[in-house]
Amino acid sequence: MASTVIGAGITIEGEITTDEDVIVAGTVRGRLSAKEGVTIEHGATVEADVVAGSLVVAGSLTGNVTAVERVDLQQGSRVIGNVKAARVTIADGAQFKGNVDMDV
Amino acid sequence: MTASVSVIARAARVHGRVTGAADLEVQGFVEGEITVGGDVTVDAGAMVGASVHGRRVVVRGAVKGDLTADEAISLEEGARVVGDVRAPRVAIAPGALVRGHVDTGGGASEVASPARTPAAVARVTPAARPVAARVAPVAPPRAIVARPAPAQAPAPGAPAKDAGPRRPPPPVVPALKKARGQIAKKKER
Repeated sequence: MASTVIGAGITIEGEITTDEDVIVAGTVRGRLSAKEGVTIEHGATVEADVVAGSLVVAGSLTGNVTAVERVDLQQGSRVIGNVKAARVTIADGAQFKGNVDMDV
Repeated sequence: MTASVSVIARAARVHGRVTGAADLEVQGFVEGEITVGGDVTVDAGAMVGASVHGRRVVVRGAVKGDLTADEAISLEEGARVVGDVRAPRVAIAPGALVRGHVDTGGGASEVASPARTPAAVARVTPAARPVAARVAPVAPPRAIVARPAPAQAPAPGAPAKDAGPRRPPPPVVPALKKARGQIAKKKER
């Protein structure tokens, strides 16, 4: 697996930039930018603006999201912030407060 | 999902602070500070412009910054380190390049590293080294260092063997180029 993993128990305060996937199971504060997919796993905490190719959230996210392709807020996720993507899904049981912009 | 191991991948850049209690593997670029309770691995091809602290630190890539560890630091072949190296056990393998002060004496480096934060000093377990290690710095016991750090000889705290007590010891300039740079570095601090 070539992607970047922020494991549970690890906190990054600052800026993460990558051309590949990022999986967050720990904590990220600041800014998270990835060209490919970003996964925020259950139990993870992200307090950051996220720019990604696509984004899947199962954990907690506070910050604005911009994705090229899609954003999926899964069941049990908790998202506060504005979401801008071509496609956005919000699963039943996801908590979400913010604006959705799907480039209509 | 193997989320328990943290990896900064080859294509990733991190600017900021990396903290936590888990292990960390760096294959990419980190600038700032790494302070974790677990093991830190800086892989070949990685670029770290940060002070690194972990329980054990293994370096095969490039680090510009001080390395400290609670247990051990291992600089393996291909490692390039510019910065001070401090841990109860330090191993420098053939093929590893180091420019900086090496200290296996636990908390004995307050003279050499005045810039270090007090928190970082406190984290290094002083109980791991006997006090005697500080008195005789010429022979660092139990260190696996291939070349004992020449910078320890002119340390201000080192007992001058022949010179009078009030005079500073004459500058020891070994033939090694590396050591000369080290002395210059010490003076400017």
